[in-house]
Amino acid sequence: MDRAGDDRRSREYETNPKATPSNTRADRTKFLFIGPAVVWILAFTLFPLLYALYTSLYSFRYGQRLGFVGLENFARLFTDSNLLSSLRITLTFVVGTVTVEMVLGVALALLLNREIRGSNVIRGVATLPLFATPVAVGYLAITLYYERNGPLNSLIRALGGENIPWLSDPSWALVAVILVDIWQWTPFVFLITLAGLQSLPSELYDAARVDGASATQNFRFLTFPLLTPLLWLILLLRMVESFRVFDIPVSLTLGGPGRATEVYSLYTYRTALRFFDHGYAAAQGILLLVIVMFIVTLIFTRVRGLYEER
Amino acid sequence: MRLVYRAGLGLTTAVALSLVLFPFYWAFLNSIKRPEETFQPSWIPFLQFQPTLEHWRSQLATPEIRHALLNSTIISIGAATLALLLGTLAAYALARFRFNRPSNGALTTWFISQRVLPPVLFVTPFFLLMRQFGLLDSVWALVLLNATFTMPFAVIILSQTFRELPRELEEAALVDGASHFQSFFSIVLPLALPGLAAAWVICMAFSWNEFLFALSLTSQSAIPMPVIIAGAEHTRGVQFWFVGVNVLMTMLVPIVLALLAQRYIIRGLTLGALKG
Repeated sequence: MDRAGDDRRSREYETNPKATPSNTRADRTKFLFIGPAVVWILAFTLFPLLYALYTSLYSFRYGQRLGFVGLENFARLFTDSNLLSSLRITLTFVVGTVTVEMVLGVALALLLNREIRGSNVIRGVATLPLFATPVAVGYLAITLYYERNGPLNSLIRALGGENIPWLSDPSWALVAVILVDIWQWTPFVFLITLAGLQSLPSELYDAARVDGASATQNFRFLTFPLLTPLLWLILLLRMVESFRVFDIPVSLTLGGPGRATEVYSLYTYRTALRFFDHGYAAAQGILLLVIVMFIVTLIFTRVRGLYEER
Repeated sequence: MRLVYRAGLGLTTAVALSLVLFPFYWAFLNSIKRPEETFQPSWIPFLQFQPTLEHWRSQLATPEIRHALLNSTIISIGAATLALLLGTLAAYALARFRFNRPSNGALTTWFISQRVLPPVLFVTPFFLLMRQFGLLDSVWALVLLNATFTMPFAVIILSQTFRELPRELEEAALVDGASHFQSFFSIVLPLALPGLAAAWVICMAFSWNEFLFALSLTSQSAIPMPVIIAGAEHTRGVQFWFVGVNVLMTMLVPIVLALLAQRYIIRGLTLGALKG
C-alpha cells in the first residue's frame, strides 16, 4: 500500500510554518472549509438519531403520538416473536452471504492476480453487479427463478435434477434471496482483494525469491499477513451492508412466503409505515444500531491501521 | 501441466464472467420477447424468435415512467451536486490543514462512519420530520437525504485526490498573497477535475439506486424509478417483458456512471483504505 510517502509529505506540509503564511488566518479558514459539511451531517444524522430516541419513548396509534411510555417500546423488543424471527432470518442471511462472498471473492482474486489479457474487461464486468440497482436485481431474479420454465430450473432439469420451488418454499426462498446477494456482492470482495494484492510491495517478493521461498511460503508468510487488515475491512463493510438488507427481499419475495424472508429492516419498515407504530419502529432501529455498532467495534481495531494518518 | 493450469484458469474466468453477465442478458431477452414467447426456452433472437421493441416503446411512452425517470434524474443530480459541494470543501480542509482535537484522522473516521448507520433507523424520524416540514412526497426531501448519505464518498475520494496534487502552485499563490479560497478555486479545483467528476458520478449512482427512503417518503408525484419497479407487481402481476425493460432502464444509468468513474471506484468502496 503505497502511501507512506504521501503521508510523510502531507505531515511536513501541515507543520511547515512557511506553508501557511498566517496561522490565525489558516485557523479561521479551515473551519470555514470543514464547517458546512459537519453541520450538515450533524443536522441530518445526529438530530434524527436523537429524534428517534425521543420518539421511541412514546406510544403511537395510526401515526398519532399518544402518551409517554418510557422504555415500554424497548421491553416489547424482547417479547416480540416476529421481531426475534426476523432477527434470526437476518443473521442467517448475513452469515450465508458474507461467508460465501468472502471465500469466493478472495479465491477469484488470488486466481486472477497475474498479468492476463483482458484484466480491465474482467474488472469492468465485476463492476456491473455492484452498481446495478438492487431493487431491479430483485425483480430480474423473479424471472430467473421462475419455477416452471425459468433459466435456472431449465438448467437444473437439463443436468438431471428436479425443479426447485425457489420462491414458494420458505427455506428455498431464503436461499434464493441469499444467492442474489452473493451474485451482487462477490464482485465487491473480488475487486477490493485484487486491488489489495496488486498494491503489495513487489520488493518483498523479490527479496523472498532471492531467499528461495516457495509459492506456498510466499502466500503463507507474505501475502496473507499483508492482506489481513484489508480482509478484515472487507468483512466489516460486507457485514454492515448485509445487516441492513432490504431491497432484495422486498423486490424478490416481499418477505414471503409467510414471513420466511422478512428481514429485520423490512419488519421495522412495516412497523413504521404499515402499522404506523413509530415509537416501536424507532426502538427497533436503535436495537439494530446497537447490534451493528457492536460488530463494528469488534472489528474496527483490526482495520484502524488502514486509515491511520488520514 | 502448465497448459492444464492455464486451461483451468481460462475456464474459471469464463464461468465467472458468464454468471455475472447472464442475468443482464436474460433481462434483455425478456424485454424484446413477445409476451407469448416469454415462457419459451428460447435464448437467441432472430434465430429462435422474432424480437420486438414494442415493450421499450410502450414503457417509454408511459407517463408514470417518464415522470419517475425525471424524478430519479433530479434526485441523483441534485443530491450528488450538494454532496460534492460540501464534501469538496471538507475534503480540502482534511487534506491541507491540521486539526487537533478532533484530529484529521478522527474527523475522517467520523465522516466515514455515516456509512455504517443502518438506514432503517432513520425511516421513522425522517418520516415524522418530513411530515412536519411538509416535505413528504417531494423530490427535495430525497435530494437532502441522499446528499447526506453519499457525502462520505465525496469526502474520501476528494481528500485523497487533493493529497496527490502538487502543493508548489498553491504555496506560491499563498506567498503571493492569495487567500486559501482563491487558491482553492483557481488552482486546486481545476487540477482536481477528474476526481471531482468521479466523486460526482459515484454519488449520483448511489442516489439513483437508493430505495428505502424513496419508498418511505414518496407516494405519488415524487416516485423515482426504483419505487416504480417495486410497485409493478402489485397492480398487474409480474409481466416479464415490462420487468425486463424497467429493470434494464433503471440499472443502465448507475452502471454507465460507475464505468465512467472506474478508476476511483476502489477508493470509494473501501472508504479510502485502498487507492485501487
